Amino acid sequence: MIRSTTRWQRTAGALAALALVVGACGGDDDTAADEPAAADEPAAADEPAAADEPAAADEPAAADEPADEVEATQGGGILDAVKARGVLNCGVSGAAVAFSYTDADGSMNGIDADYCRAVAAAVLGDATAVEFTSLTAAERFTAVQTGAVDVLMRNSTWTQSRDTEVGMDFGPTTYYDGQQLMGRASDGFTSASPVSDIDGAIVCTNAGTTTETNISELAAELGLAITLNTFEDYDQVTDAFIAGTCDVITTDGSGLVGRKAVQEPEGETWVIFPATPISKEPLGPVYAQNDSQWADVVNWTVYATLIADENGVTSADADAALAGDFGAEMQRLMGGEGEKQTFMGLDADAFYNVVSQVGNYQEIWDANLAPVGLVREGSANALWTDGGLMYPPPAR
Amino acid sequence: MSEVTVPAAQRAPEAESVSPGRWVRENLFSSVSNAIQTMFFSLVLLGLLRWVLGQIFSEEANWTSVATNMRLLFTYNYPTEQFVRIWFAAGALFLAVGASFAAWNLNPMVTVRRVGVALAGTGAVSLVVGLIAPDTTPSAVRTGFFVVGIGLVALALAVLKVVPEPHRRQIPFIGLLAGVAGVICGVLWFFPFGDYGFADGAPTAESGTIDSSTSLPVTVMFLIMIGTYLAGRALARMIDLGWLRRTMIGWWVIGPAFIVFLVLRDPEFDWGYVLAVDVPMGAAFALGGGALLYLLAKPSRSELARVIGALLVALALFHWVAAFFGWYPMLQKARFSFALIAVAALLAPTFAGERAARLRFAGGWFGFMVLFHWLLTGINTPSTLDIAAPPFLGGFVLTVSIAYYVMLASFPLGVLLSLARTSKMPIFRVLATTYIEVVRGVPLITVLFFFSIMLPLFLPGGMGISDLAAVFAGYTVFSAAYMAENIRGGLQSVRRGQYEAADALGLTTVQRTAFIVLPQALRVSIPNLVGQAIATFKETSLIAIVGGFDLLRIANSTIPNQPDFLGQKRPALFFISLVYFVVAYSMSRASRNLEERLQAGQAR
Repeated sequence: MIRSTTRWQRTAGALAALALVVGACGGDDDTAADEPAAADEPAAADEPAAADEPAAADEPAAADEPADEVEATQGGGILDAVKARGVLNCGVSGAAVAFSYTDADGSMNGIDADYCRAVAAAVLGDATAVEFTSLTAAERFTAVQTGAVDVLMRNSTWTQSRDTEVGMDFGPTTYYDGQQLMGRASDGFTSASPVSDIDGAIVCTNAGTTTETNISELAAELGLAITLNTFEDYDQVTDAFIAGTCDVITTDGSGLVGRKAVQEPEGETWVIFPATPISKEPLGPVYAQNDSQWADVVNWTVYATLIADENGVTSADADAALAGDFGAEMQRLMGGEGEKQTFMGLDADAFYNVVSQVGNYQEIWDANLAPVGLVREGSANALWTDGGLMYPPPAR
Repeated sequence: MSEVTVPAAQRAPEAESVSPGRWVRENLFSSVSNAIQTMFFSLVLLGLLRWVLGQIFSEEANWTSVATNMRLLFTYNYPTEQFVRIWFAAGALFLAVGASFAAWNLNPMVTVRRVGVALAGTGAVSLVVGLIAPDTTPSAVRTGFFVVGIGLVALALAVLKVVPEPHRRQIPFIGLLAGVAGVICGVLWFFPFGDYGFADGAPTAESGTIDSSTSLPVTVMFLIMIGTYLAGRALARMIDLGWLRRTMIGWWVIGPAFIVFLVLRDPEFDWGYVLAVDVPMGAAFALGGGALLYLLAKPSRSELARVIGALLVALALFHWVAAFFGWYPMLQKARFSFALIAVAALLAPTFAGERAARLRFAGGWFGFMVLFHWLLTGINTPSTLDIAAPPFLGGFVLTVSIAYYVMLASFPLGVLLSLARTSKMPIFRVLATTYIEVVRGVPLITVLFFFSIMLPLFLPGGMGISDLAAVFAGYTVFSAAYMAENIRGGLQSVRRGQYEAADALGLTTVQRTAFIVLPQALRVSIPNLVGQAIATFKETSLIAIVGGFDLLRIANSTIPNQPDFLGQKRPALFFISLVYFVVAYSMSRASRNLEERLQAGQAR
């Protein structure tokens, strides 16, 4: 009796675990049913169950094709896919204060998270219909290419190579950032200090970033003798700065402002300089290449928040704007007449939903960037009428 | 192995009672060099302890960041209203643990002396901590350490004085467990930790005790475990113990699937589809396959079984070929089921025998098919595939689940690989060796990157694999290779004579492996396997790099990026290292107990 127990114990245990393996990697039985042609592909996912030679032999062949596949599947309309799904998959960082960070209750917040909500409000009429995917820097662009996310709002700098070499496009900039430096007032730094003041200083930053490249290129150009110390991540950089191991630290201006606001010790004054950043870091939405319809939707969602800001329309004023109290352009944008929005596949009241549910650019700024000490007035992020770079095309 | 029970009387008797002073003299200051070493390392230890305490109680260490983020650390963004599922799963696990303790009577007796010494030791450590705590320590905390330390030492001395012959008198382990559980629950209910929460975008903190939404379920968990143990012992007196054990084995086989189903099931599960397609198909394979196997497992039908098995293999292959060319649609799991029934039919002659044996074989198939289809349905319905978008599982729950299921899945895979590698058939040997060497030659992080980032690129359009499934598959592939090498070491320790004896009895290769060789090999491999289990648990932190929100990523990048706790990394990292340590140390202790139990039955 006992003997048979052990026998069954082992057999059943082995079988159950096999079932788990297959269960986890068995691919999608039900999509396979709809698409017989695709049904052979799960083989790649099944290989652990097969337990033999990894299917390495046939993988390289598949590796040549992904680019075509991506275009074939995504050229046909992310907009329709999102509408059918009823929820927007939005890629964010999840660990970038003021941009997208996870709060203690598990909710995603920040300017990037709010722009995800804005796109969801435009497409689905519901700013809460977003599923956030927190992506690491290494994963983010792959996630766009594979279609794992519909749009990426992950403080990603728009650069030539990213725009042209990888299968994705960039939308209008939602935040103009730029690399700056931070030193102590007691060391003689002021907010007007030129970069050349760091001659002879120990400069710290995080390793393997463009920040590191920028500062060393600049120092070589200006002939400055600096000691560059790099750390694994920015918390360590800040800790070293507090401990006095670094004279100057450098990263994007928004990051420095946040650190200064929260971590500046009592009795010490940190200053951020030079007034003109040493690099350009335009941050904005990223989406898959060659889907103009989807690009229009995302771009105009961003423009809508800016046009509302130009006209002083806050979320509380959305109804008044729809009624025409804020002029003809705002009324058109809100879908009050002409229904411009239906041409791009959205409902007429798409941008009304954006403004009423998420707010205009200033409101998004006040909710996310102002609390960490970022000031919009006089920066590149001010409206063009105030000397900034925010210049949305007209809605007509 | 589990049937080996050792009466306490047969164990090595506990050493004679030695007075503490004599023990110290004999062990710590027996010679000049010994005394110097004792002093030196004590100082090093004290210095280290003081440094750690300094970190914990330093002025900048703000433990609010940990207290406020408890929910993130344990469950990430698992919806609060669904927490009952996690508690239910935990309850099912505690219930099974209690019942298994009862079924195998895992209740070692502990002498009163050992308990007393442990209490006194804890008390002494508490006193030392109170003494050397740095100046930044709040005075209430320091007083607390003194009170606890003096209380424990006094209690220990009282117990050792009052109880006659403390080194002989024994108390059951379960009693101790109940005591510890009682203390934990008492602290949770009555200690004024403060109630930290998060509302309207800002942390909230109130003085008082921890919210009952935490302490109540924890108390219920302990009550369930101890209650089940007591009920199980009562039941064991009335019914056949073997039956209880078989039930528990069955539970441990199905239980994990049950828990996956419970915790991972998407709230928007498509029940209509499940009832219309999944259930009938699973039932058809389970019942039809069971009946077929029952008929084939008759010894006189061995030839027929081989023929039918071969035909089924051909059919199963044909299904895959057909799917490849897209001739007709068929569900993936139907193809798998066909392949499995074909293998089972080929195995039928091995399990052939009397009516009871045939019934068991068919019953085993039935149970396996139910489980198989349940799992596929639970994990891989279209609605659950979309879990990829939000992390859904994170924190401690993710760490534990990944470690648990990876161990569970890689174990049989590892056994198969090790058997293949030691097999006499060159094709299996070469394949298994290649697999093991290739996987062992690649870092885990590379395997994880491949599965989570590269794999989706290779999949055809419209098909996805959830992040969790990708990480799980990659990690299992990796872990199985190491598991296989550990088990191969065990296999090599099985003596030649055991094989020959099995052959002399006329056992088939499968029988010999399953009933003679593997049990001995696995027993030898236990320390290595547990070592690997602990490594697997700790290395789950690598899934952070491929996007999983495990303990490390939350402590290292999520919490320090919240506006309220910007840059506050140290408290959270301290906290999670404590969590890792508690779990890993428990596993290590449990494995030592297991070894003792198994070793006791083996006199060589």
